[in-house]
Amino acid sequence: MFGGVTDSVWVYRAGFIGIALGLLFLRMLPLGSMAGDWPGPDLMLCLMLAWVTQRPDHLPTGLIALVVLTEDMILMRPPGLWTAIVVLATEFLRARSTLTRELGFMAEWLLIAGVMVAMLLAYRLAFAVTFMTQPGFGFAFAQTVGSILMYPVIVWLLRVVIHLRKPSAGEVDAKGRRL
Amino acid sequence: MAKNRTSPDEYTRPLRRILVGLLVVALVGLFLIWRIDSPRVERFRTALVDRMVPSFEWALVPVTKSADMVDSFQSYANLYDQNQELRRELQQMKAWKEAALQLEQKNARLMDLNQVRLDPKLTHVTGVVMADSGSPFRQSVLLNVGARDGLRDGWATMDGIGLVGRISGVGERTARVILLTDSNSRIPVTAQPSGQKGLLSGDNTLRPPLEFLEKPDLVRPGDQVITSGDGGVFPAGLLVGTIVQGADRRLRVALSADYERLEFLRVLRSHALEPITDAGNLIAVPATEAPAAQTEAPSAVGQ
Repeated sequence: MFGGVTDSVWVYRAGFIGIALGLLFLRMLPLGSMAGDWPGPDLMLCLMLAWVTQRPDHLPTGLIALVVLTEDMILMRPPGLWTAIVVLATEFLRARSTLTRELGFMAEWLLIAGVMVAMLLAYRLAFAVTFMTQPGFGFAFAQTVGSILMYPVIVWLLRVVIHLRKPSAGEVDAKGRRL
Repeated sequence: MAKNRTSPDEYTRPLRRILVGLLVVALVGLFLIWRIDSPRVERFRTALVDRMVPSFEWALVPVTKSADMVDSFQSYANLYDQNQELRRELQQMKAWKEAALQLEQKNARLMDLNQVRLDPKLTHVTGVVMADSGSPFRQSVLLNVGARDGLRDGWATMDGIGLVGRISGVGERTARVILLTDSNSRIPVTAQPSGQKGLLSGDNTLRPPLEFLEKPDLVRPGDQVITSGDGGVFPAGLLVGTIVQGADRRLRVALSADYERLEFLRVLRSHALEPITDAGNLIAVPATEAPAAQTEAPSAVGQ
């Protein structure tokens, strides 16, 4: 998509916003998700976690919060709760970015799976604590499983389409700074 | 400058931690405010949707239309079978039409005899479905009619045949319809012919269960379900669906509205019933107000 400009962080940020809006748009199309259908994977979550794991410097916390909060508002979710959970999860991954840089993909996938399940549990716990009606556990868990299975695909797509990958050891950016 | 841009130190500095902490606290605060005083936040949400979604419409419409076209094209394949089937159905329908006409005449005669007056205020606004809730856990659609068309919260929404949902959230140009299948939907209904009243409560499945029936034994699969109008928000007598027994032996309602294709929806203008507040002053008429109330009445009635 914008392979020529390999290191302009702002181009990647704009790209992220564009993809996020595109996903939101696709989900809003009135093509009818029927009640009782199996929920598909949460592509938005996969995208954010994959991006933060590969290149934490591209997605500042404020941007993530803004995008997820907009999604919360448009998709009729309780505003703020899922955003807070996503922010905490991405912070957790950011703080471990050196670790994930050295890990192989399987270990990274396992870590992400753990994070996703923890996010689901935290979300449902908050629902239970505030006495809100929530869909059945199996139903919600199906979405998380879908997201976990979808994660490698998203990572692969990011790598192939927009050349997003973890910086290798000793790689420098355009200004000669170590990545 | 040999600053390491992606080192974790960058993300664990105290100041950054405090800022992220504040952000999370603010977000959780927003959630709690929503939980405690949801109308205010929901108004903000409606305003945001009202502003954002219509600006997407130029793109939503062609994509939806082309997806529908693909659907329609697939149905060309079995056009011949459909045609045959339709012919057969038409034959049956002709017989039914005769029966319906006769019943209509009979009904009109009976209504005339009873001097029934249908509610003239039950008119409707038709809207087009613009967008979906976009989430498998929430069942709602967004209509392109809103406060400028006089819509209000709580009004009933139907497709051509049956009840679809209830208006919940009205913006200037858009309105959200919570479908009967949403887990937040609760509609008071009556099962006919037994007249048992219950609550149709959505549970995110295609066939919402019927709850709080007084005598569930009297209700059988195949019975018709209509709205009961209890609570005064919802007009009575709108067709909802028929009763079926689910695999879990619970009484559920197969909805009459075609949920697979929600395109044009009718919003029924229902005006709040005038509440009867006084206990009735037939027995002891207040002496001062009595003449004013009876100005039109013939004098013989007063004596």
